[in-house]
Amino acid sequence: MVSTSDRPAPRALAALGGRLATAALTAWAAVTITFFALRLGTGDPTASLLAQGLATPAQAEALRHELGLDRPLLEQYFTFLSGLVRGDLGLSLYTGRPVLRIIAEQAPSTAELAGLGLVVAVGLGLLLGIVAAWFEGRALGRAAAGLAGLATALPVAFTGILGLLLLVGLPGSVASPVWAPIRRLALPGLVLGYASSGAIARVVQAGLSESLLRPYILAARARGVRPRARILWHALRPALPPAVSLGALEAAYLFGGTVVTETVFSRPGLGRLLVGAILQGDFPIAQGLVVLAAIVYTASHFAADALAMTIDPRLRGQI
Amino acid sequence: MNRPARSLTAAAFILLALVLGAACSPSPTEPLTLRYGLTLAPTGIDPHLNASSELGIPLSSVYDTLVFLDPATGEFVPGLAERWEISPDGRTYTFHLREDVVFHDGTPFNAEAVRANFEYTLDPENHSQKAASMLGPFESVEIVDESTVALHLSEPFAPLLDSLSQVYLGMASPSALEQWGPADYQFHQVGTGPFRFVEYIPNDHLTLARNPDYAWGPSIYLASTASIERIVFTFYEAEPTRALALQGGEVDVVGEVPPRDAARLAESGGFALTPVAIPGQPLQYFFNTRRPPTDDLPTRQALLLAVDRESIVRTIFGDYSPVAQGLLSAVTPGFSPDVSFPSFDPEAARDLLVQSGWADADGDGVLSRDGQPLTIALVAPNWGSNPDVAQLLQAAWEQLGAEVTLQVAAGFGPLKEIQASGAYNAIGLNFFGTDPDLLRGFYASDGLYNWSGIADARIDDLLRQASQLPLDPEGRRERHRQVAELVRDQALVLPLRDYVDLVVSSNRVQGLRFSALGWFPHLIDLRLEP
Amino acid sequence: MRAGAPEWLSAAWIALVVFASALAPVLATSSPGQPIGEALLSPAASPPLGTDALGRDLWSRLVWGGRLSLAISLGAASLTVLLGTVAALTAAALGGWPDRAVLWVSNSMLAVPGLLLALLIAAAMGPGLPAVVLAVGLGGAPGFARLARTAFLQVREEQYVLAAQALGAGRAWISIQHLLPNASATLLSLATTHYAWAFLGTTTLAFLGLAGDPSAPEWGTMLNAGRANLPYAPWLALAPGLAISLTILSVHNLGEFLARRARR
Repeated sequence: MVSTSDRPAPRALAALGGRLATAALTAWAAVTITFFALRLGTGDPTASLLAQGLATPAQAEALRHELGLDRPLLEQYFTFLSGLVRGDLGLSLYTGRPVLRIIAEQAPSTAELAGLGLVVAVGLGLLLGIVAAWFEGRALGRAAAGLAGLATALPVAFTGILGLLLLVGLPGSVASPVWAPIRRLALPGLVLGYASSGAIARVVQAGLSESLLRPYILAARARGVRPRARILWHALRPALPPAVSLGALEAAYLFGGTVVTETVFSRPGLGRLLVGAILQGDFPIAQGLVVLAAIVYTASHFAADALAMTIDPRLRGQI
Repeated sequence: MNRPARSLTAAAFILLALVLGAACSPSPTEPLTLRYGLTLAPTGIDPHLNASSELGIPLSSVYDTLVFLDPATGEFVPGLAERWEISPDGRTYTFHLREDVVFHDGTPFNAEAVRANFEYTLDPENHSQKAASMLGPFESVEIVDESTVALHLSEPFAPLLDSLSQVYLGMASPSALEQWGPADYQFHQVGTGPFRFVEYIPNDHLTLARNPDYAWGPSIYLASTASIERIVFTFYEAEPTRALALQGGEVDVVGEVPPRDAARLAESGGFALTPVAIPGQPLQYFFNTRRPPTDDLPTRQALLLAVDRESIVRTIFGDYSPVAQGLLSAVTPGFSPDVSFPSFDPEAARDLLVQSGWADADGDGVLSRDGQPLTIALVAPNWGSNPDVAQLLQAAWEQLGAEVTLQVAAGFGPLKEIQASGAYNAIGLNFFGTDPDLLRGFYASDGLYNWSGIADARIDDLLRQASQLPLDPEGRRERHRQVAELVRDQALVLPLRDYVDLVVSSNRVQGLRFSALGWFPHLIDLRLEP
Repeated sequence: MRAGAPEWLSAAWIALVVFASALAPVLATSSPGQPIGEALLSPAASPPLGTDALGRDLWSRLVWGGRLSLAISLGAASLTVLLGTVAALTAAALGGWPDRAVLWVSNSMLAVPGLLLALLIAAAMGPGLPAVVLAVGLGGAPGFARLARTAFLQVREEQYVLAAQALGAGRAWISIQHLLPNASATLLSLATTHYAWAFLGTTTLAFLGLAGDPSAPEWGTMLNAGRANLPYAPWLALAPGLAISLTILSVHNLGEFLARRARR
């Protein structure tokens, strides 16, 4: 194989920088669009406070002034942006507490779940993809491919409830406290990870199938080279970069998946926070979560690109 | 196995054993901790400012009140006040305070502290949702001397002692109130009670620790000191999670367990079920008299008759909940047992509608009159099985021939918002309490929660008179009875079920007793067997 | 390209759902909102599917719910396809800055993952069925627009389009006469696959409680309601859950089949 220089070409750094700039720009655009959508959609929040008797008309007016709602929309937007840069996401409409603090309190639980979900997604995706490709055409391979296909189509709500059913349906043993961490974290993580594993499995299967047909691999298998795992490893390597990039991308989609998983398993976290904010009309919290989501998404896209470039030097030349 | 693998395996086993050993054996310095499950996390937990009854479960043991209400006798017993006098005109209450009480932060408890508390609660900037209105015609607090305080009212106010016995008027440390202010104080609460407030992370947990210096408990506390060192409260908003948490050992006690789960846990043998009847208003729906078609008395009466309350209560609450029979639940002082609400009679309901001109002109199953269909806007709060009850109400009224739109409000705030807009024909709300004067907020024409929009001078007079007879319980009872009759005859409210709180605890928990308000456990009396 | 067993099964299920929904008034044994007996009766005690926690017939609710879920998801999907196609066609036909603008807007909206985007739109509008339709419809538009644009671009590079351009045909003419019809096979497969996503989106939002009216027998709402009684009546959650999953799988399968055919 042709060896490539280990020193990253100057063009690669420029490429990375370009991606970073695009990512930042996209995040900013997302935040902007949602800012205007929320402001134009939810109407006057102080009206709701007034209706609840939480403010007299004089106080409502003062609050409007304080929130800057009596300023032109554009000025409000710049105030929001400057607050954003300082890390100030505003105050929750209902509790008056800083949005950043509320999000920070709920974030660890979601991060825990999403982290486990990512591990499961990548692990399970690799497993299913490898089995589907290695045993292609045979029952085992078809079963693995089927499972992967199901993973993308089955709603997380349903697999979650199936999981819950398993827990509830199991006799007596579930009552012991030993099962608590399984119920609280392992099972939701499994459900969440399974949903995302389908896409990864598909990419791994496609890449591995193709490289298993390469001449040198066929030759090795024909010669009966042992251990077979060695062959697998060599065939797998070209299939990995797209899988890894996809894995990084899935991190962003996992954030959306946690909303449903947290609801199904009644876990605290950002998902429940968002649903609650929507139902109550607490738009500063919803806005703060969008900012977070946009950052997570663009960061993970950037990470995916950077990872891909690192693994496969051929990609470094592209911008 | 080759050598490196063997030593690796051995090391792994040793490590595993260490970890397991550490996990299994309880550390000798770990404090005795009780885990208590709560339900909805309220938006605010300062009892002086917020109205939620959930917050009282932990906080009624953080605060003491001037007087306490004995659930067994219905009499008031001394608390922070050793004794008190009521002036003959009923407008001045003089309290003689205990002199040995100290707040958790070391501040001494005295008349000045009492005044600071009233100022904080009554400050309009602080928007007290419940405590302030519980004080009625309150005028001023006068410091007679360091341990004597006099409360002056502009008129006699019968429920004052009852109000003063509730956690919403518990005594907080004035220095803490001063230091933190109304927004942050809820996270740093300081009282004089048997437990200290340690921390509160919203939606996550709330921790209390034993107050070792507590020596001034009222006679209704059986224990003089708490045996449990720490209590950690966690939140279980979704109903199915409460039984799961008990079974999984995550909590030792949890309330508001759904009836089927409660029955199952009790039968399984490892748990005890304590049903607690809650005084106050039953789960109920008000009819809006200011919006058609419920502005019309026969229509309201028909809607009442069309509902099979027995069946609804049995379907949703099983055998654990009595059907409501009035404006108050049967265990509430002031409940009028001889004013009964009409029972299920769908034919009479239909007759009433027909007689007032409703007919199904176009055969689509919906009644109409003068070209207007019988549309009912039903609004339900999202707690206490209200959405389920509302769905069955909707079914009953649709069976009658109405077109019902159901809206579930996602909390007290959104509920009030919808009510303020006036876009409802039936709306659900109820408050708990131990004094029938709470009816005034709902049925007086100027009541804060007069959501039926009634303005009846007779009701106003009766309620006002009843509130001004602190020394005449018979007179109060008679007047409340007449109010109940008037409300029933005008079909202002549809009462459904008397609240019963199903509290399930593991067998390790002993001494579970509840205050007069029903929701709040006497945490000091709890013991945890090993 | 032959349709195999999975494709026929998928088509059969979809046909079943559509027919059952159309014939709901006939097939349902009772009104979906009225209790017919005790709560939580098993399918054995109260055929065919037992009763829910309020004593309502599950079969009737399922059948009427199919209508509701289909209608909502079709509404959302139509919105997406319409918006996305118009945007993509404009971008592909005109090129230049309209193309860049469309790309930029859709990429920015895509910076928030699909479900989250839909949730955000629901946040701006408040809970309720119309909000669900709009949220899922708008939320899916950027993704669909991107894919449709690629399809149009591929057609644009075809010989006959270049020929038409050389002959001086206007861009609007090219769009309507050439781009749209020739990309229709791909568009159909995209729309079908997207409908699976729209169905998932609307039932998920309803599952999260954003549909407003808890008595409406939407399948997602029913799935959520079934959670509370899992130890006593698991069929209350399994029935709508299976119905939702089978529908999504079937539509997904058909979409993939159409895509394979379009690529040929």
